[in-house]
Amino acid sequence: MSEMRIRVTLNGAPMELRAEAGKSLLRILREDLGMTSVKEGCGQGDCGACVVVLDGEAVNSCLVLAAQADGAEIITVEGLALQGVLHPLQRAFSEMWAFQCGFCAPGMLMSAYALLLHTPSPTRDEIEEAIEGNLCRCTSYRAVIEAIDAAAGEQRRGGLAAGAPDA
Amino acid sequence: MPLLVSSGAGDSPPERPMPELEVVGHPAAAVRAHEIVTGRALYTRDLGIPGTLVGRLLYTPIPCGRIRRLDVRAARRLPGVTAILTAADISGENSYLYSIPDQPLLAFDFVRFQGEALAAVAAENEEAAARALEAIEVEVEPLPGVHDVLEAMRPGAMQVWPDRPNVHSRLVIERGKVDRGFARADVVIENQYLTPWVEHAFLETEAALAMLDNTGTVVVYSPGQSPHRDRRQIARALGLPEVRVRVITPAIGGAFGGKDEAHVQIHAALLAQATSRPVLIERSREESIRTHVKRHPVQVRYRTGALRDGRLTAIHVEAIGDTGPYLGAGAEIMACLAATVFGPYRVPAARIEACTVLTNNPVCGAMRGFGIPQGQFACELQMDDLARRLGIDPLEVRLRNGLETGDEIPTGVRMRQAGGMKGCLIEAARMAGWDRRREIERAPAPHLRRGWGMASILFTVGMGRNVPDFAGASLDMALDGTVSLRTGASDMGQGAHTALAQLAAEALGVPLESVRVVVPDTDQAPNAGPAAASRTTFVSGNAVLRAAEPIRHTLLQIASEKTGLPLNVLGLRGGRLIAEGETLSLNVAELAREAALQSRGLHADGFYAMEYPEPHPPDAYPYAYSVFTFATQVARVLVDVETGQIKVEEIVAVQDAGQVVNPAAALGQVEGGCAMGIGYALLEELIVHEGRTLNNSLEGYLVPTVRDVPPIRARLLEYPEPFAPYGAKGIGESSLTPTAPAIANAVADAIGVPIRRLPITPERVLEALERGEDGRVR
Amino acid sequence: MTVPDVLSPSTLTEALDLLRRHAGRARLIAGGTDLIPRLRLGENRPAVLINLSRVSIPGLRREGDWIIVGAGMTHSALARAPEIRKHFPALACSCQSIGGRPVRNRGTIGGNLANASPAADTAPALLIYDAELRLLRSEGERCIPISELFTGPGATVLREDEMIVEVCLPLPRPRSGASFIKLGRRQSMAIAVVSVAARLTLDAADCAAEVRLAMGSAAPVPFRAATAEGLLLGAPLEEERIRAAAAAAREAAAPISDLRATASYRSRMVEVLARRALYLAWEAARV
Repeated sequence: MSEMRIRVTLNGAPMELRAEAGKSLLRILREDLGMTSVKEGCGQGDCGACVVVLDGEAVNSCLVLAAQADGAEIITVEGLALQGVLHPLQRAFSEMWAFQCGFCAPGMLMSAYALLLHTPSPTRDEIEEAIEGNLCRCTSYRAVIEAIDAAAGEQRRGGLAAGAPDA
Repeated sequence: MPLLVSSGAGDSPPERPMPELEVVGHPAAAVRAHEIVTGRALYTRDLGIPGTLVGRLLYTPIPCGRIRRLDVRAARRLPGVTAILTAADISGENSYLYSIPDQPLLAFDFVRFQGEALAAVAAENEEAAARALEAIEVEVEPLPGVHDVLEAMRPGAMQVWPDRPNVHSRLVIERGKVDRGFARADVVIENQYLTPWVEHAFLETEAALAMLDNTGTVVVYSPGQSPHRDRRQIARALGLPEVRVRVITPAIGGAFGGKDEAHVQIHAALLAQATSRPVLIERSREESIRTHVKRHPVQVRYRTGALRDGRLTAIHVEAIGDTGPYLGAGAEIMACLAATVFGPYRVPAARIEACTVLTNNPVCGAMRGFGIPQGQFACELQMDDLARRLGIDPLEVRLRNGLETGDEIPTGVRMRQAGGMKGCLIEAARMAGWDRRREIERAPAPHLRRGWGMASILFTVGMGRNVPDFAGASLDMALDGTVSLRTGASDMGQGAHTALAQLAAEALGVPLESVRVVVPDTDQAPNAGPAAASRTTFVSGNAVLRAAEPIRHTLLQIASEKTGLPLNVLGLRGGRLIAEGETLSLNVAELAREAALQSRGLHADGFYAMEYPEPHPPDAYPYAYSVFTFATQVARVLVDVETGQIKVEEIVAVQDAGQVVNPAAALGQVEGGCAMGIGYALLEELIVHEGRTLNNSLEGYLVPTVRDVPPIRARLLEYPEPFAPYGAKGIGESSLTPTAPAIANAVADAIGVPIRRLPITPERVLEALERGEDGRVR
Repeated sequence: MTVPDVLSPSTLTEALDLLRRHAGRARLIAGGTDLIPRLRLGENRPAVLINLSRVSIPGLRREGDWIIVGAGMTHSALARAPEIRKHFPALACSCQSIGGRPVRNRGTIGGNLANASPAADTAPALLIYDAELRLLRSEGERCIPISELFTGPGATVLREDEMIVEVCLPLPRPRSGASFIKLGRRQSMAIAVVSVAARLTLDAADCAAEVRLAMGSAAPVPFRAATAEGLLLGAPLEEERIRAAAAAAREAAAPISDLRATASYRSRMVEVLARRALYLAWEAARV
């Protein structure tokens, strides 16, 4: 099995590590890079718990191989807050009970983050499209939709750039 | 006058809670919200202890057979393999399940279902563990299994166990004269109902991290619903005294009853004991679906007698539950079904029989509702059938029979508080526009049919009379006035810790932010019993209040001494002293420091056991419940009669909550219950063939996505519950229970034919349309 | 899962060369949304994975009367590409129906085709749009119509050393309308129970000058219902004919029973969806 050197930009910081080329990005993030916010729910792209933002798009990290992540810019939940200040999405999720057990929350947050990167004023349908690949077993998704909507509003009012950490 | 708390499009914002409550009744954020949104919440797999071994279990290749050969010697010699355990290596008892421990931890003679574990492996890494599993030599000689529950009940049928009958128990609850009741009925309706095996599909699969600490104590981190109960089972299997085992509950990624039984904790502990190293066992999603307990599939035959005006005269119900080969809590679940299957109605005469049957199908256990959803499904479809038969509106027939405070139910109990029954029913009907529903287009296109359905259910809180149902809680105030709350109760997302913190803050008169809920830990917290039976708010909540009282009293006494004001005019609010409602300058921190100076303690333990002060008729069901919640839901569906597809357009959910502790959390629970209920109604079914589940993945077992859940208009009503903390009681399970029957009744309204089986799939819709109401094939 | 060796070529030439050298023991991986789940369950055990993520194949371009789509284009890119939405709405719609957003952001059209599931979501639309596929190997290239690609469930005519590089779509004639309907057990993240794509081109007399009707999840391979098409070709469109065509489509289908649906339900749905898809295509053609 081939080990390779992998370079990624993780939450704005350059990282380098060695890993087997076929190891999943999910495992690399959790085990090699300490990003335990990234959760495994099914291992095969059916639940969205492992979603991270890779080169500006939401992807299931369980379906990305190390060799494919090499050179990518990756954002996880750990990279959302800026110097301790919560991202509007984090604040909205927290205040509006957009989670209950919290296990799906990191994936939801990253799907939402990716949405707001490209669509700062999403319609309800666009919000649903962004999270239709994220399963939640605790909520009815209503609070998640409203939190994303509220965060989008806050971002627009605050004139914040769509959250990219220390570019 | 009930207070209203609501959400949903177009509804008014939440009204203010009772003026004297500062914290309870307010929508505070979850106590762990910050950790969760920053990704720092630690679930079992996130704990990351260096040197942790990978633990895996070897499961049986076939569901039913005799173990001819189980040879781990070659596997043990593989590089990277640290230990492999079989039944012979278990130092204590090789059995578990909390009620009746009849499931082996590691099988040694027979395998009786697809999830039977044969060996436990600990290895340096995943690859070594996988190779070890493959290298274990297993030969299981197939034996015919018992897979049909009705067949299993026949006299002379093949038995699952040589020394136990397949029909494990037959519970009978009887009250009143059923024969007379049917004799005087103007109409008698009998139907058969069928519900499937259901999977919890919590997002976080089972895991346990076990290790020995420096004192040789076995420490187990695991998402479980009862750390103290798990501790007992672990100690039993390892042959250790309970105090030499410590169970800690990190964040839990959902449970819904599926983590009520021990899952991999005991196996992980055994491996840690054998290796003296930390061991982490994680189940893959496929293993999870295959091995952990499922919701019981139940067949219900329901016979209802009623007068022409719709009033019930008698019911006769027979329910059969397939529990798999290991009993566990199977009989309790069927008993719970039996003790509520009459619904929230006055039933003058009832005969209820519940059978728990052993088979070689998947092992079943607790799932949100604990048998009640299956029974209420049947009950509510019966009520609609009755309404149809008599030409009475479904709302009307429920109102005519609805329970009121003081009424007696077939378990011999008088309702302490039943205002919620008609309250929820009337409010749900009003919100849904029930009276005007026929004004809305019923056939918006040639192939579409719209339908409305309602379901009004009875749910219980607590474990029932004569069943241990208690909790301890511990409060400790520091010198700066902040408080730590130690509870053994699990927060699996239902918001238990936030609710308990709110109750503590309310009782002590301190801000919520100054209460910290310590992670449940059997070394630190008293036993709170399981986070189950919707009991945590009630039982643990009362324990918290009992712990708060002496601390509050001490603080006020000191305040009285310092200010010279009499005790009866003093209070605490927001961390400050108040006198006759006026805030004074003394704050809690100052009082706390004064207490220390005077060597007066600010620590207390509270204990509460569910109380049943009412006399209970000696001939009545001994394990009856006395605390109930009511809920009504109304569903509107659109059915495509060419494809059979069903779209749920809206759900109105009204829930009786006693006193809402946290409106935001409570609404989330109601909405979440509806979402899970939609899955139960339309999507979810484990397909079992000869004891094997065929859809063991989240691709094959479908739970609702955001696109499958319509707007839910939810409202909470408050009819304060006697003996409950501030009148509050749990709603985690009752929120799920009305959804499937409401949807089923709505589909029947849409297509003119009832479907008495879950899930209501498109194929079953088309089949019903062909069959027609009278059973004739068209 | 037994993880094979992963090789990451930087150019198409390198990729083809690796494919030739490892022919028979290698699989190409682009988005991996089908392949990785199969590897995980041990359904596929290639010795080598050839990772295409560094290989850039031109995305989308117009060449005369054709739109050329690179095989590496993701479903979400296709679903939002203006040229696809405008000229090939049934394809945009079918790409949008795949999985959830994270899967659509990775899964590629080339992968969807090479995976050759009978339920492949892009196949019915490509069939109705007369797509042609450019296949490349070290030794040369060939073009085949999409209808020749699939040979059975999970099987294609692709040689062991060959890959799909482009999907070529001829621009539909004026007065052409198309539709795509997918039936799933839930509203998102669902494998098709049955899917149907239809396209009609009307002539000056409002008769059907072109008819295409394709189904997925209704036979071992996605296919066009030729008899059904024949019943509509050259004739004015009307309810009777559409119903007859839908019935003929049902006749042509050979579905199986599986966890999601029975064969008989699928058969019935072929007819229902064919009828609806034809009506929708007709409406779109008249606009």
